[in-house]
Amino acid sequence: MEKIVNDFVINVATANGTGSQSSNLIILHSMFEMGIPVSGKNLFPSNISGLPTWFIIRVSDKGYQAPGDVTNIQVLMNKDTWLKDLEGLEPGTIVIYNQDVKLPVEREDCVLLGMPMTKMARKINPKLGRLIANMYYVGAIAHLLGIDDGAIEKAVQDQFKGKEKAVELNMQAISEGISFARENWEFESHFCVESREKNPDSFLIEGNEAVALGAIYGGISMLSWYPITPSSSLAESVIEWVPELRSDGSGGSTCAVIQAEDELAAAGMVLGAGWAGGRGMTCTSGPGISLMSEFIGLFYFSEVPGVIWDVNRVGPSTGLPTRTQQGDLSMLYEASHGDTQHIVLIPGTVDECFEFGWRAFDYAERFQTMVFGFNDLDLGMNRWTTNGFQYPDGPMDRGKVIRSQEEMGAIANYGRYRDVDGDGIPFRTLPGSGLDPILYRGTGHDEDGIYSEDPQVYHDTMERLKRKIDGSRTNLPEPVIREEEDKELGVIFYGSMENTIVEIDDMLGEAGVSTSTCRVRALPMHPEVENFVRRHDRTIVLEINRDGQLFGIIRKEFPTELIPKIHSVAYSDGMPPRARVYSDMILEVLNEVS
Amino acid sequence: MVRLNVIELEKSEYTGGKSSLCPGCGHDQISNNIIQAAWENGIQPEKIAKMSGIGCSSKTPAYFLGKSHGFNTVHGRMPSVTTGANMVNKDLSFLAVSGDGDTASIGIGQFIHVIRRNLDMVYIVENNGVYGLTKGQYSATVEKGSKKKKGVPNQQAPIDLCAMAINLGCSFVARSFSGSKKQLTALIRAAMSHRGMAFIDVISPCVTFANNDESYKSYNYVKANDEVLHILDYIPHFSPIEEVEVPEGEFREVNLFDGSTLRLETVAADHDYTDAVSALSAIHKSEKAERHVTGLLYYNENVPTATDALGLSETPLVELSEDLLRPSEDSLERVNAGFRS
Repeated sequence: MEKIVNDFVINVATANGTGSQSSNLIILHSMFEMGIPVSGKNLFPSNISGLPTWFIIRVSDKGYQAPGDVTNIQVLMNKDTWLKDLEGLEPGTIVIYNQDVKLPVEREDCVLLGMPMTKMARKINPKLGRLIANMYYVGAIAHLLGIDDGAIEKAVQDQFKGKEKAVELNMQAISEGISFARENWEFESHFCVESREKNPDSFLIEGNEAVALGAIYGGISMLSWYPITPSSSLAESVIEWVPELRSDGSGGSTCAVIQAEDELAAAGMVLGAGWAGGRGMTCTSGPGISLMSEFIGLFYFSEVPGVIWDVNRVGPSTGLPTRTQQGDLSMLYEASHGDTQHIVLIPGTVDECFEFGWRAFDYAERFQTMVFGFNDLDLGMNRWTTNGFQYPDGPMDRGKVIRSQEEMGAIANYGRYRDVDGDGIPFRTLPGSGLDPILYRGTGHDEDGIYSEDPQVYHDTMERLKRKIDGSRTNLPEPVIREEEDKELGVIFYGSMENTIVEIDDMLGEAGVSTSTCRVRALPMHPEVENFVRRHDRTIVLEINRDGQLFGIIRKEFPTELIPKIHSVAYSDGMPPRARVYSDMILEVLNEVS
Repeated sequence: MVRLNVIELEKSEYTGGKSSLCPGCGHDQISNNIIQAAWENGIQPEKIAKMSGIGCSSKTPAYFLGKSHGFNTVHGRMPSVTTGANMVNKDLSFLAVSGDGDTASIGIGQFIHVIRRNLDMVYIVENNGVYGLTKGQYSATVEKGSKKKKGVPNQQAPIDLCAMAINLGCSFVARSFSGSKKQLTALIRAAMSHRGMAFIDVISPCVTFANNDESYKSYNYVKANDEVLHILDYIPHFSPIEEVEVPEGEFREVNLFDGSTLRLETVAADHDYTDAVSALSAIHKSEKAERHVTGLLYYNENVPTATDALGLSETPLVELSEDLLRPSEDSLERVNAGFRS
């Protein structure tokens, strides 16, 4: 059989809480170490121990990162999903299974490779047998694919940093796995890996940690948070990095971190910090946003800066807590009762997670409003490649804050909510300054901040707020556009779909459709998105949800004459987007409309 | 001659806008006491931050301390907003006003947790047992058997906010009455001198919906059933001898954080404000007797504040320069290098 180099999918089926995450990351990192383009998706349950979990590793010289259409190598460790995992495989799949799970492996059309992993593990260490058993499939895969010993060893070292005993124990298990496979399996895999030139600058990191670091470099002065999957690791990363990066030199911390009693309080603390002149932030997921909505309206109406990161999981309600979706977008854009509109930053890569992590504060203070960072579980909790984060390209933008009597004197007719220079953004003063103090309120107020129910005053305030947020369109991150010459089809997408779009594009190309792409990186949308639609015969808005939420926003905001040529392709099942699903749906829509 | 306080400001520097509450409302008396206390203590008005939630009481920050910034937040959520502001500017003096609906019902969770954190603030509940702004529904602090002007007597057990605060380890817990000017002013002044959470539950009759004699929080009822623990004198650190006469009988002195003193002339001899059990006992006994115990119920100066516990920079975070808020470019290179190795 012809060798297939660096182009295959491994699926590892294990039970949660058995330490399999370490094994999976060692496979991932060892290939990454060899310079092979690789990505990993952890499909885990809402559970600490016992429920099934899968890890999908995609190896692709083309740089594809989505889960592939088929599994080429299946690892079976979990008896609960054993039969179903086996049943779904294509003929010819390589199946590596733990022989000590006493279940039948009745797939004669597949390559069946058994190993007594539990028994071997118990021999090394009877107590930790269950955990170490997972290292044997690492050895099995290393043998089949030809992963370098050195790369494996480095990955193990990194995984168990500083724990010499653990390194030794796990290396022994992997070596035994390799030896067993070599001695007992007569099969030679047609899938194999070949080293590529590794960019020495590159490393893998989760989106959540990238946002956390971005926030730290953005001068975050208070993080309030309430634990919720999949955003907790964002807060925990801030906590981890603050001591090293945010000490004042005399042992004091320059960033307060508070675990709040609930999401309402977390949002309230961000509001208080922003009002007092600090850079407050919280992170949560959809259920938290629902709870924070009351405060989000207060941010908007009282014009206080703050940052909220939503790491989207599957809704509605508690939904699928450990699965991914872009289901919160329309909620974020208009969160809270009454007419509101919020700035939403939408990173599509870990580099952008870092960048928007710090920029969010600048936008919040510039526009004196609450700014959302919109991420999802896929980008937030899986590991993606970066070549290193870029330092902010300029000083912090602290916005229109009057800090002295002199500055106050320079403004004729100051009022907290008076637009003195036409951009819809008023000046503000801070508590403690004694400069023109007001009682901030969520009730109707006039340009001086005084309570008012006057119809004209209310109307004018709301129009100014609209003008203010509209004014951000050209300041926010512009869309990333890649355009074909013939302008046949334009695909608008956003966020973590970035990791699947190249493959979708190639599939459409194979079907004879030339596709331009436009990745939206912020709401409200930059005018270039509309221009992109104008230039193309047809536009499809591609998203990971049921209803086509960005499509809904586009339909509401774009000129009526453009709407007939814009179509929605939206699909969500909780899984990271698979290219085939979306490319098929796009082709279907194109068929229908032509 | 115009009287000036220790920082040479007239009292008018501490007043606010005209009240829009019902004439005779207990809350307006509390506002006057707040003005008096802040003025007498010689606090710079701009260093005070006025905080409130939603309700009649929460409207009052518009009626005092017009030179201070303030935030009339959302219903029951004042503590969290105060917490965020305190984290970034711990040098502000936070003076919060809430109501029994705002604190004991919708805001009970935030009340509990802000006490647990021992946030450095003065937290006054203007407690009248009814929701005034929505026209007189019972709140969760109304006593069993108490009856408002319209409707049937309340049947549910009340939440005693002082008892709750003591159980949660609050460092300063007091109860007073809007009509007890001397006691209330002394308690607010002492609360302002305290570092940490100072909670004062002030019974403040609602003249419109619950000032009938069958209401346990009416003027007549409270006057007749006020169980005063001690006579209070506040002695400011800046003029320790001028203001009060030394009492003839037994007294104790509470030494406050800023060097001021609260002198307690004993009335109820068995009450020990340093003992939570004694304080809780006083509350429960008076509740059983359908009376209101007032005075300094509990005090503990040895509780670290929220900012102490976090080990924050000595300088309030809002005053830090950009080079302290944003780590250096070199440090980012080190972070990147750490991930690469």
